[in-house]
Amino acid sequence: MTVQALPLWSKLAAKGAPHAFDLELTARCNNDCRHCYINLPSGDATAAAAELGLDEILGIGREAVDMGAVWCLLTGGEPLLRADFGDIYLGLKRLGLLVGVFTNACLVTPAHAELFRAYPPRDIEVSVYGVTRETYEAVTRRPGSHAAFLRGLDLLAEAGVKVRFKAMALRSNLGEFAEIAAFCRERTADFYRFDPLLHGRFDGDAVRNAEIEAERLPPEELVALERADPERFGALERGCTDGMVFQPSGEHDGCDHLFHCGAGQGSFTVGYDGTFRLCSSLCHPDTVYDLRRGTLREAWVEWVPHVRDLRGSDPEFLQKCRRCSLVDLCLWCPAHAALETGSMDAWVDYFCRVAHARAGALGIDG
Amino acid sequence: MIDDMKAEDVSGPEVTLESICVPSDAVVFREIEGDVIIVPLVAGIGDADDELYTLNETGKAIWQKLDGRRTLAEVAAALTDEYQAAPGGLEADVLGFAVEMTKRRILAVRG
Repeated sequence: MTVQALPLWSKLAAKGAPHAFDLELTARCNNDCRHCYINLPSGDATAAAAELGLDEILGIGREAVDMGAVWCLLTGGEPLLRADFGDIYLGLKRLGLLVGVFTNACLVTPAHAELFRAYPPRDIEVSVYGVTRETYEAVTRRPGSHAAFLRGLDLLAEAGVKVRFKAMALRSNLGEFAEIAAFCRERTADFYRFDPLLHGRFDGDAVRNAEIEAERLPPEELVALERADPERFGALERGCTDGMVFQPSGEHDGCDHLFHCGAGQGSFTVGYDGTFRLCSSLCHPDTVYDLRRGTLREAWVEWVPHVRDLRGSDPEFLQKCRRCSLVDLCLWCPAHAALETGSMDAWVDYFCRVAHARAGALGIDG
Repeated sequence: MIDDMKAEDVSGPEVTLESICVPSDAVVFREIEGDVIIVPLVAGIGDADDELYTLNETGKAIWQKLDGRRTLAEVAAALTDEYQAAPGGLEADVLGFAVEMTKRRILAVRG
């Protein structure tokens, strides 16, 4: 039975309990991808020193399990950089969690493959940056990373570990995006997705943010890519038809609440340094809670309602975004606005242009 | 007794009414919001596409009596008292549950 099919799921939702959480084991990565919102050098001693230790991680896991959590995603940075990855992974599984892993696969060793074979993850999602060495390494900026990626995939396949794939659509790899999709679909019957929406860095690094901006596709190209993927575009169309995407005009008139999304509603994220966040992208200083100074239960019961009650006051935001009927076609959210501008209630031109381009493709008047 | 689990014919250890059965090391069991949830820890538990399992009310009642001390006959007797069933009437249910769960490596026979 899948997790979502369980009656338990609705019981947890009705109780307002968390069912899932992401754990960023590290912000460090073996790659140096141009579009990455978090990566720090693998040898960054300051970042490594700030990382949660095994006992801290398992302590948070125990609290989450006590509150009802079922599903845990290990991510980074590159989680396999951690020498204690196996202890973390098995420790969380032994708490009764379904554990998933996001990885670039470059650091997969025979020991990792054997671990995943013997103790299967709920899923492993591998990021794919290109299919040729030139493109792959133009994105990762690490010579030898393409060969390491292929070797890691082979090890997982030989161990019978099923993987899912994700590709980021970038200017640097757009030229072979069809080949990337074919590569992924050839290697998994399970799942392939791509994401063309790049948001800013968690650390606000201006130079790296400029690199991210330079990798963004113009709205028209982004929409063309989505249109070329029947599954993705079909989902958007169905969402509009079913009224799940297209918000009736004026729905948010008069409301200045920042959060209308699912942040902190059943799931949360724990950063590598023990910061509790309502979702993976929400890093604004007014919204994070230090789990080294308090408990997960306090964060969930007391901090989450406080954050979700935050209001916006920027007139442009209230006039444009809060009244916009295309909000669900937009990358805008308080978290992404803050990463873009430093403010959670700022209007973001690029996001707005993407939303209107999508609306145009779907035949919706924005 | 175990929801959404299809039969997988594997031979397990012999299970009798004199057996003492306990949750195996191959799974983690949790009680969440009144439900007994069985989370596979290792490969090869149940069907490949199943992520976890829940027990129905009968399975849950049996499971909660598997304390590592009682034999299956004693579990059946305790349930008979609790539910005021006919004497001996629950032994087949308890044994059938234990046999099925042992085959699937969810229960282990102690001793």
